[in-house]
Amino acid sequence: MHEVSVALSLLEGVETTALAQGIERVQAVHVRIGALSGVVRDALTFSWDIVTAQTICEGSELRIEEVPLVVYCKPCAGERSPRPGSGLLCPECATVSPNIVSGREMQLVAMEVPE
Amino acid sequence: MTKLRVVEIARNLMMRNDAIAERLRDRFAESGTLVVNLLSSPGSGKTTLLERTLDRLAGRYRAGVLVGDQATDNDAVRLRRDGVRTEQITTGAECRLDADMISKALARWPDERLDVLFIENVGNLICPAEYDLGEDLRVVLFSVTEGEDKPLKYPLAFNTAQLAVVTKTDIADAVGYDRAAARTSIEQVKPGARILELSARTGSGMDEWIGLLEERIRDKALVVVR
Repeated sequence: MHEVSVALSLLEGVETTALAQGIERVQAVHVRIGALSGVVRDALTFSWDIVTAQTICEGSELRIEEVPLVVYCKPCAGERSPRPGSGLLCPECATVSPNIVSGREMQLVAMEVPE
Repeated sequence: MTKLRVVEIARNLMMRNDAIAERLRDRFAESGTLVVNLLSSPGSGKTTLLERTLDRLAGRYRAGVLVGDQATDNDAVRLRRDGVRTEQITTGAECRLDADMISKALARWPDERLDVLFIENVGNLICPAEYDLGEDLRVVLFSVTEGEDKPLKYPLAFNTAQLAVVTKTDIADAVGYDRAAARTSIEQVKPGARILELSARTGSGMDEWIGLLEERIRDKALVVVR
């Protein structure tokens, strides 16, 4: 639901870096979005196309890496991926783990620009 | 084909919001103001709980309320009371409040010295969970009619809250509310969660809620940073 604001923050981040480095054209942008972030891939791509119109990112591709939810399960002494809709429940030993290792990401990673 | 090079950026998208939230936190530490951010779906009873809460705190604590809604100031009007500063933040297309909106609203209250500031977020359990507003206490509400598995559908909102409040318990029996199932699903996204069950309408469970708030208000006032 907040994909337009996410797209705008991405654009702002890209433009800031581009301005500082004298970059005038961006071909692709890489982002990492965690499973817990509530961001919908299609909605983000759609928002990106709209907010980048008439900017240095116009027509650029948004490459989204979806980061799964991973918790550290103490009884198993290892990282585990809870099944969707099961909260933070370890799929192996059914213990609930409070330690979220990944899945909350909303990161602008990099951009691809012409040489 | 054009040759491309990769430019690393490595930037957290919440960076700007979080920086403003930290400044708000400093400001609230200085003024000794407890800040409570209320999150829930539309219709869980945030406004009704706040109405009863303001009535109970009246005359003893200086309270303020910021209310976020996409349209209308109906909730802010309901919350207006003598001695309580209330302001509507109309978010338009935005589905949540962010730290910048809070900061701008508070800029219009330069001389307000508050013991407690309630922020009623936009009714939505997805987006508001991402945005730190500089609060001390994040409270997530859900009513007995909403389905006991709600926490599993919106794990981040329940995981990031320090307190879960189950509302409308006066109609729990009528709607077949399964208390144990609700607790299990909250526990499943927030192990060891503190859970309160109350009915703002009948007042049942309200003493515990008010007691908790008063304790937190006093604690915050004691550690004022100058």
